[in-house]
Amino acid sequence: MTLVQTNPTIGDEQDRPVNLWRDAWHRLKRNKLAIFGLGIIVLLAFVAIFGPYLTPYDFLSQDLQARNQAPSLSHLFGTDDLGRDVFSRVVYGSRTAFLVAIVVTAIALSIGTALGAVAGFFGDPYDRVIMWLTDMTMSVPNLLLVVVINASLKTPIARWMEAQYMATLNPFYRETIWIDFLLVFGSMALISWPPYARLVRAQVLSIRSRPYITAAMALGLSNRIIMMRYVVPNALGPLIVAVSAGLGTAMVLESAFSFLGVGVNPPTPSWGNMISDGLRVWQHYPHLLAAPAAVLGLASVAFSFLGDGLNDALNPRGTK
Amino acid sequence: MTAQNTRERLLDVKGLSVEIDGRGGRAVVVDGIDLHVTRGETLGVVGESGCGKSLTMLSLMRLLPNKIKVTKGSADFDGQDLQKMSARALRKVRGGDIGFVFQDPMTSLNPVMKVGDQICEPLLYHRGMSRQDARKRAVELLRLVGIPGPEERLNAYPHELSGGMRQRVMIAIGLACDPKLLIADEPTTALDVTIQAQIVDLVKQLRAKLGMSVVWITHDLALIAGLADRVVVLYAGTVVEDAPVDALFANPSHPYTRGLLASIPTLSDAPAARLSSIGGTPPEPGRRPPGCPFAPRCPVAMDICRKEVPKLEPISSEGSHRAACFAAHKALKAA
Repeated sequence: MTLVQTNPTIGDEQDRPVNLWRDAWHRLKRNKLAIFGLGIIVLLAFVAIFGPYLTPYDFLSQDLQARNQAPSLSHLFGTDDLGRDVFSRVVYGSRTAFLVAIVVTAIALSIGTALGAVAGFFGDPYDRVIMWLTDMTMSVPNLLLVVVINASLKTPIARWMEAQYMATLNPFYRETIWIDFLLVFGSMALISWPPYARLVRAQVLSIRSRPYITAAMALGLSNRIIMMRYVVPNALGPLIVAVSAGLGTAMVLESAFSFLGVGVNPPTPSWGNMISDGLRVWQHYPHLLAAPAAVLGLASVAFSFLGDGLNDALNPRGTK
Repeated sequence: MTAQNTRERLLDVKGLSVEIDGRGGRAVVVDGIDLHVTRGETLGVVGESGCGKSLTMLSLMRLLPNKIKVTKGSADFDGQDLQKMSARALRKVRGGDIGFVFQDPMTSLNPVMKVGDQICEPLLYHRGMSRQDARKRAVELLRLVGIPGPEERLNAYPHELSGGMRQRVMIAIGLACDPKLLIADEPTTALDVTIQAQIVDLVKQLRAKLGMSVVWITHDLALIAGLADRVVVLYAGTVVEDAPVDALFANPSHPYTRGLLASIPTLSDAPAARLSSIGGTPPEPGRRPPGCPFAPRCPVAMDICRKEVPKLEPISSEGSHRAACFAAHKALKAA
């Protein structure tokens, strides 16, 4: 047999998971709910990315002549108490929602995966310490922690930024929106990582002791290849489901914080602070509450459906 | 032992001990095992569950779980000590020169990887083959182990195959790099008898074709009779008898071996007769009796058996048949 060396990187893991993904996609396509969820998410993502080109109004432009209008052709979701177009604000709110969801989930997933993998792979004493940390974090009420962080850090940081600005006149220190994002993202990631850590740890623990891992070691494969092709793909199903659900949860969480006034600050549109504003006047102008709440609900449900669908699709032993 | 002898030995295990570091202290599960495999030979390793068969084979390749450790002994493979080898060199031997076939075909294949890719794995890693060549070789291997329609089977996931098929795939993976030694750990236990016979025939054919050595671990003596050249009988982590297969069945010398052979039911047994068995249970690791580990269950135990541990010594004139039993040693001297 002639050895034609077309693929110089032996044991390259690039194209192998592709097969897994392609097969998973075939299975996913047959799941109607998952495809519905995926469709909603793609639509929302599209709207979030191309928002500025889709909305007829700026989300900040006020029209005091047309306040609190009911939905009409010129204002699809009506207008709010300052005459701002609710449709435009919901569209811009989707940018906030996606930004928060993606950044928070990414941070939480990184922390959780790293800690969970170390705990599962190396065992005690790392395992014990990391699990203490996880339990400790989970035992603090989420909202309380976020409120405490925001209340105690927001003002000092803002003052410090102001002082820096006065000292240097560098306009960077005027951008207070980044403080918001830093604190909101940071505190949300801080309360979101423990479930990922637990999940990854449990996965690594159970997979590490499976016979096919011993068999892979008996084939002389390196730890890196075993990790990438045997442990990770087998752990991926539950992790992807958790991430998909986590994205939805992060969106809802951000809305909850905005609702309580510890989230993204106005005038940056967020579904949460729109719901909060709408709630005060919902008897008179129900559309101000209904529009953001419906979109938030839809997004949350879409992520759940997709997560469930992915769970079935990524498990080739499934019944379908 | 002559130098000639040493060169013929592909695998030479000397005084290998394995201990479990458990909650109740350390327990010796494999106690100074000596065994060897010559080139082209099939060695049967028999013994009841928990006697250390699988642990011995795993320890050779340093595949033991965390709390189980090799404490003593060496395992020379092709002139190199597997126990002292660097991790990198050992990885070359694993799957390259030594193929492994595991007990349970249901759980020993990666469930999310197509079988074709799993067969390609050692080829890509040890042989540096391109993906296309590896797939061609995988088709050959599947044909070799008697899987019909190998081209289509490459794209099957393990759960889409039957138990017998999966075991064949495992054997194909073990054979992928033309190993010098194939270690098969009860490869037919999970299969029904007809498939078992097919697999045994397959391994015999392949051995003849490829000239490799085979270590076949089992607790099925009937199976070993038709397959092995030489048999090692393990009891409680020690070798109690080591003999050419004909000598073992014609003249079993250790009372434990005799007990094992006597407990194989035959068609000529009276229909209502009770199955013969060895009384008692094997000692738990860590609670071995001071003398011969089999002494408490032995029908011919003498005083010395409860005090001293018998050594594995020749009991035939040409020295190929050895047993660790005072009674057998005495019988030889008397003769």
